This record gives sequence, structure tokens and C-alpha cells, in this order.
Amino acid sequence: MRTIHFTLNDEAVSAQAAEHHSIVDVLRDRFDLFGARESCAQGLCGCCTVLVDGTAVSGCLYLAAFVDGKTVTTIEGLAQNGKLTPIQEAFLETGATQCGFCTPGFVLMAGQLLAAHPDPDDEEIRHYLSGNLCRCAAYPEIIAAVKLAAGKLRAGRL
Amino acid sequence: MTPFELAEPKTLKEAVGLLDADDPTVRPIAGGTALMLMMKAGVFRPSKLVSLRAIKELTSIEIVKGELTVGATTPLAVLEHSEAVRMHAPVITRALRTLSNIRVRNVATVGGALAHADPHMDLPPVLIALGARVVVQGRSGARTIPVADLFAGYFETVLAKDELIASLIVPAQDGRRAAYLKCTTRAVHDWPALGVAVSVAADGKAIKNASIVISAATETPMRMSAAEKAASGATDDAALRRAGDAAAAEAELISDGQGSAAYKKELVRVYVARALRAALGAA
Ligand SMILES: Cc1cc2nc3c(=O)[nH]c(=O)nc-3n(C[C@H](O)[C@H](O)[C@H](O)COP(=O)(O)OP(=O)(O)OC[C@H]3O[C@@H](n4cnc5c(N)ncnc54)[C@H](O)[C@@H]3O)c2cc1C
Ligand code: FES
Ligand code: FES
Repeated sequence: MRTIHFTLNDEAVSAQAAEHHSIVDVLRDRFDLFGARESCAQGLCGCCTVLVDGTAVSGCLYLAAFVDGKTVTTIEGLAQNGKLTPIQEAFLETGATQCGFCTPGFVLMAGQLLAAHPDPDDEEIRHYLSGNLCRCAAYPEIIAAVKLAAGKLRAGRL
Repeated sequence: MTPFELAEPKTLKEAVGLLDADDPTVRPIAGGTALMLMMKAGVFRPSKLVSLRAIKELTSIEIVKGELTVGATTPLAVLEHSEAVRMHAPVITRALRTLSNIRVRNVATVGGALAHADPHMDLPPVLIALGARVVVQGRSGARTIPVADLFAGYFETVLAKDELIASLIVPAQDGRRAAYLKCTTRAVHDWPALGVAVSVAADGKAIKNASIVISAATETPMRMSAAEKAASGATDDAALRRAGDAAAAEAELISDGQGSAAYKKELVRVYVARALRAALGAA
């Protein structure tokens, strides 16, 4: 066991974590955050996506000890004062979320994509999101959501 | 996963000192992407992991005397987006784009991509074709090993248990052109049934000094010397196909879930010729 200190969704926190616990384990067991959830447990599906120092990682393959001193952002940290982000709004407006199990991962990866490519084409969207799986197969709506979000974000920047 | 100790040394020397030549349950961990899978599956139960993540001296990408030098804990995503890498050997940049997914590349490291020694991995054949080598640090000093000599078998390297890969060096390519093709048989993101990396010097249209490496279908990535001979001087499609035939004849292929050895032989025949053609047309 060790104590890890990190910034979680804009708040300085600390937690007891065993060396062999993943960041998903700690978010769930110590912070009651269930947005990053383990599904494939192999780095393939993206349901466990969190941002560490702003970079997307698969939480299922990331030891909690490695976030010590870093900044962790989960899906729960995106909305500010109850207001969803343009990407979250776009997912709702296009019906890109069905059962919702994959949605946190897709929303976080879409954020990474749009930060790097504000106006992505289909090919770029597919490339970025190819490591995320949706068992409800809402892929067409997800691609539409990313495009809608891209427009919202570009409009917001003008 | 079962509990283990985690050490977080700040220097390479300290890290080497924490490893144990005689204890296979003590291992370095870099990105952890491969080790986490092995620990979750219960095929590896460490007593102690030595994290390389706090070692600052291992994360740099530089050109030193015309050679590309990459620190072992450089994440694959950093390599993928490095302008120095793209200028030096664009085949590395292209290969990385299809290596796993963005989240894995954000975390997995160059050292882990070499030391893991899964024959299905993408970087080893590419780096062998480019004539790359690794600098390895042990208790009594450093040694240099060509990537071509790094792999001892299926998931095995020639590294001692208390040695660490410190850096990767890719020599100047002097106008050589390279290509990497992989063939997946079940789904795009599956492990490949075959990987082919080639690097050629071209004298006008004729191939000179071809380096041809196949992976995934063999126990370790392998240079195909008969195919390299056959490719020498090749200018037309018929000659490239003869190189493919030579590779198909010499490769020792294994049957597995991705395909039978007989099927992979035909893949080798076709993909070696295709890779040579792609290299001739590549930068
Ligand atoms: C979902 C998924 C998909 C993947 N798809 C692909 C793919 O398409 N193509 C591909 O090539 N690979 C693929 N991989 C494998 C991936 O490339 C490796 O997991 C990764 O490169 C390992 O790097 P790491 O830093 O995470 O290593 P770790 O997991 O930290 O370590 C791996 C091994 O290397 C040793 N090691 C690490 N660093 C050093 C060092 N500096 N010196 C000595 N030993 C060291 C460790 O002890 C361990 O034995 C995939 C992995 C995942 C999880
Ligand atoms: S649960 Fe981590 S990627 Fe699927
Ligand atoms: S909405 Fe159900 S898994 Fe994607």
C-alpha cells in the first residue's frame, strides 16, 4: 500500500492504493467514480479511458501508482457547473449513446481528436476512434456526433 | 493481479542495481501495457517491478552524428509525431500509425516494444531492416546489440535479467527507401499473420543491398538472406516475384490462429514482392 497524491477533475486528492491496483480500481473503489469502467481489460475497447496529464490512456492497463503527482480527468470532470461540454451535447443530440457503456471513452477520445484536428474528415475520425468499441454499434451516430461537436467547438472559438 | 513491490528509481544505474540476474519475478516496467496484460492473465506474477518512468535520462529523441538516437522510455506516440523521426526514417512513422491504438501508443515505450519480444510486434522487423541497434546497460557497463541479434526466441531476448535497454540507435539511411506491410487475416486490428519490412538502396531502378525481414509468421523476426540475394539487381516485377519465391522457400513458418504455415508461405511469397515494390516507390 502507498498513498498517492494527484489532481482529480480539478481537485487535489490523495488515496491509499495497492501497487497492483489500476487507476480504474482506485477511481471506482476510493472515489465512487464509475464513468471509466473496465470492459475488455486488454486495452482494446476504450471503456476505461481517462486522461493523465491531458493524454488519453486505457485505465485498465495503467497502474494507479503511476498517477502520483499527475492530473487525472475522467468523464465526470468535463461538465462545468452542471453544463455539459459541446462534445457531450453533440452525443446527446445525435443519439450517439444507446446503452451508454462506451460513451465516456468515446467522448474523451473525441476531445483528443478535436484538440488535434478541429475539422476532421471521416478517415481521421475512424483512425482516432478505432481503439474504441461500441457494442450497440452506434458508430454512424458517433461519427455524426463528432462532426457536430467539431462545428460547435469551431463556432465557439470564433 | 497479485500484489507486488514497486520500485521507482531516478537513474538508470540505480534501476540496474535494483534488478536481479537470478530472479525472474523481478522485472522492469516502462509503459506497462504488455506487462499489465500478462499480470492480469496470471502468466506473470512479479515479486517486484522496477519502474523506469522516473528516469529522466531515457526520454529524448536526438540526431547524434547523423544517427537517430531514441531514449528507451520514449512513448511510441512521441516517436510517431517526431519530425526528426519522420525525416530520418519515415517508415517508422508510417508503421506506428497502425501499431495498436492511440491510447496504447501514448503509454507504450520504445524499450518495451523491443524487450517484450512478441514476434507479432511491428517495430522489431522495421528496425532490423533499418540496421538499428540498442545500447544496453548492465551492472558492469554498457554494450551494443544489433536489433537483429536481440531476439532469442518466442517472447525471449538475449538480455540478462539485470540489463536494461537504454536507447535505440537508427543509423543514417543515406537515401535508402523502406516499407513495412502487415497482413491481418481476421480483423484489421488483429495481430498480423505476417509482417514484412524491407529497406533497399536503389541504383537507378535496380535494387541494391536489400534488407528483407519477416515477422509474426516466424518465431522471431528473421532476415531472409536468399531473398535478399535474389532481389539484388532486380528491376522488374518478375525479379521482385523471384525474391518473394526465395523468401517463401527459406522462411521457417509456424502455424497458429492467424493461419497455417502453408497459407503463410503463400502470404510471404506475395507480400515480400509487394513490400519491395512499395519500398521502390517510397521515400
Ligand atoms: C491493446 C493492445 C494492442 C496492441 N497492438 C499492437 C500492435 O498492433 N503492434 C505492436 O507492435 N504491438 C502491439 N501491442 C503491444 C505493445 O506494442 C506493447 O505492449 C508495448 O510496446 C510494450 O511497451 P511498454 O513500455 O508498455 O512495456 P512494458 O509492459 O512496461 O514491458 C514489456 C516488457 O519489456 C520489458 N522492458 C520494458 N522496458 C524495458 C527496457 N528499457 N529494458 C529492458 N526491458 C524492458 C519489461 O520488463 C517487460 O518484459 C499492443 C498492446 C496492447 C495492449
Ligand atoms: S477496459 Fe480498458 S480498454 Fe477495454
Ligand atoms: S452505446 Fe452501448 S456500447 Fe456503445
